Amino acid sequence: MRFKASYNLWLIAPAALMVAVFFLYPLYFSLYSAITLDNGSFTLTHLEKAFELYSNDILFTIMLVCVSVFILAILSITIAATIALSPFKRITSLLGFLYRLPLFIPFIVTAQMMRTFLAKNGLMNNAFVEAGLLTPMETISLLGWSGIIITFVWKQMAFSTLLISGAMAALDESQIRAARNLGASKIRILFEVMLPQITPTLGVAMVLSTVTMMSVLSVPLMIGTGSPTMMSADMAFRVNSYGDYHVANALGLVSYLICAGLAWFYLRQSLKDKGAVA
Amino acid sequence: MTRLHIENLQAKYGEKLILNNINLSVEEGEMIALLGPSGCGKTTLLNALCGFVPISQGDIFSGDRVITHLPAEKRNITMVFQSYALWPHMTVAENIGYGLKVRKVKRAEIQSRVNELLRIVKLDNLQDEKVTALSGGQRQRVALARALAIRPDVLVLDEPLSNLDAKVRLNVRHEIKALQKQLGFTSLIVTHDQEEALVMADKIAVLHKGEIVQVGTPEEIYNKPNSPFVADFMGAENRIEWPTEKDGFSDSSHKITLHQSSNNEPSNQPKQVYFRSENVILSTRQTNSKIQKEEGLILTGHIEQSAFFGSNYRISVRCGMHIIQVDHTSDLPMNTPVSLQVPNHALYIYDNIVENKVHQKSTVV
Repeated sequence: MRFKASYNLWLIAPAALMVAVFFLYPLYFSLYSAITLDNGSFTLTHLEKAFELYSNDILFTIMLVCVSVFILAILSITIAATIALSPFKRITSLLGFLYRLPLFIPFIVTAQMMRTFLAKNGLMNNAFVEAGLLTPMETISLLGWSGIIITFVWKQMAFSTLLISGAMAALDESQIRAARNLGASKIRILFEVMLPQITPTLGVAMVLSTVTMMSVLSVPLMIGTGSPTMMSADMAFRVNSYGDYHVANALGLVSYLICAGLAWFYLRQSLKDKGAVA
Repeated sequence: MTRLHIENLQAKYGEKLILNNINLSVEEGEMIALLGPSGCGKTTLLNALCGFVPISQGDIFSGDRVITHLPAEKRNITMVFQSYALWPHMTVAENIGYGLKVRKVKRAEIQSRVNELLRIVKLDNLQDEKVTALSGGQRQRVALARALAIRPDVLVLDEPLSNLDAKVRLNVRHEIKALQKQLGFTSLIVTHDQEEALVMADKIAVLHKGEIVQVGTPEEIYNKPNSPFVADFMGAENRIEWPTEKDGFSDSSHKITLHQSSNNEPSNQPKQVYFRSENVILSTRQTNSKIQKEEGLILTGHIEQSAFFGSNYRISVRCGMHIIQVDHTSDLPMNTPVSLQVPNHALYIYDNIVENKVHQKSTVV
């Protein structure tokens, strides 16, 4: 028996309602609030104010995220490739276990950990001093932009390696064997056989990591030096100190546009690849 | 000249012995088929040759070179895979030329070699196609061209035809054989299909439970199987164990006799008799008389089933406890009493003791 279309619509109604209430409405409202005055008329003043006050922070955020994602990609690929191509199975299975640990540690704990590790009198510098590599006078604090990058990379590496490693494991083993018995070294196999085939997954891992980094508040608050800082910290500041939701939402709009731009670039790229295959 | 020589090779997966005591020589320009049922270790043997599976004992020589422990990329042995293993992000030409690119051959030279190979495997004008746009048969030809491009010392083919449909398989089989004759490459082909092995190979090595049980020309393997396993695997699927007292031949309509001219052995010594369905001469009771004079195995029974095979009928004849498969030109009704005769030259007779020996040896594996 066939149901009418209207019956079928009822089936998706609960799920659609959830998405609308808990996702679409808040998103719409924050975008709306970013470009309207309290009386509801359209304005660009919030955006102008956001750029006037925080353009340095916006640039700082973009730079930090770009550098983090770049380092992240290199490290994740290195780890995943080592696991996929190394002949030493015992060591790689240990590596396979170790790299996943950060998945289970929340950002705020990571930030706290990094704070005690990277500070001028933190664990890392103390260890160097104890080992006689540095004197207490020579130690430098890595809190600040470099600390934020280290924390982001440390935390996101587990996630992106997991994705990339999975994609590499899904490749047909005989493709790699075919390259090997034609004389290709492991590095060549990685760059010419494996990476071109896992680019879509790499893209997904990097886009998702970017979105995560843009939205984390604890890391810039705990590891950053205050100024310049990341946009998420600025938004919290606008809301907590001034109750100024309009500018906070305007900053939100900017960070949303950055992520959307990236997603668009990624989608275009993957569509292009698919178009070439078809 | 011996191109590839394998000596006392042994390979294990963990503690499990997969290959044991493998000895095989492949002459220059020869094609040897490794034939065996699934799980007999034939693919493992190819992987061991290519360096994908570590060898626990023994040696492999390629010409005068010992390659036993060389990494896969230094062996100059290339494989054609069952799943083609082409790289989907490269074009046909890029796939074929990859091995040359790795060897830092000049671009123009790669181009001309790729064109030459495309012509050989009859894929001209497809060089710029993505391999994902090709059919199965075309893909396997690209894989073959890719493996041949670097002029390997030995080409190994791992069930290259089993992913192709029946008609394409015959074409590609013929093409591979023709190419092998034309170009004279040394090769090993793994297959579980006895017909494929017979048609393509210069020599066949039959593997059973990780050991080579017989090596010989296709004719030798087919006509003189040296063990019950080889006989059975090469299509002699009808099997009768001697003596036959308990096999239900006491009934007057089900009888069995074995006449051999050189029969010096006592007939009650335990034996196994194998024969092919196509070698059985079937006659209904009316034509009985002329058969009895000849020698060989003679059985009587009745027809239990008949299946149409296209060129003939495969008839199942109940003879005592046994069901004997017989090829016959025409269909016969159920329960027709018939007599069967198998001439001496088509019987493969093994002493049961020998079989036990083989059996004991294989359980060690």
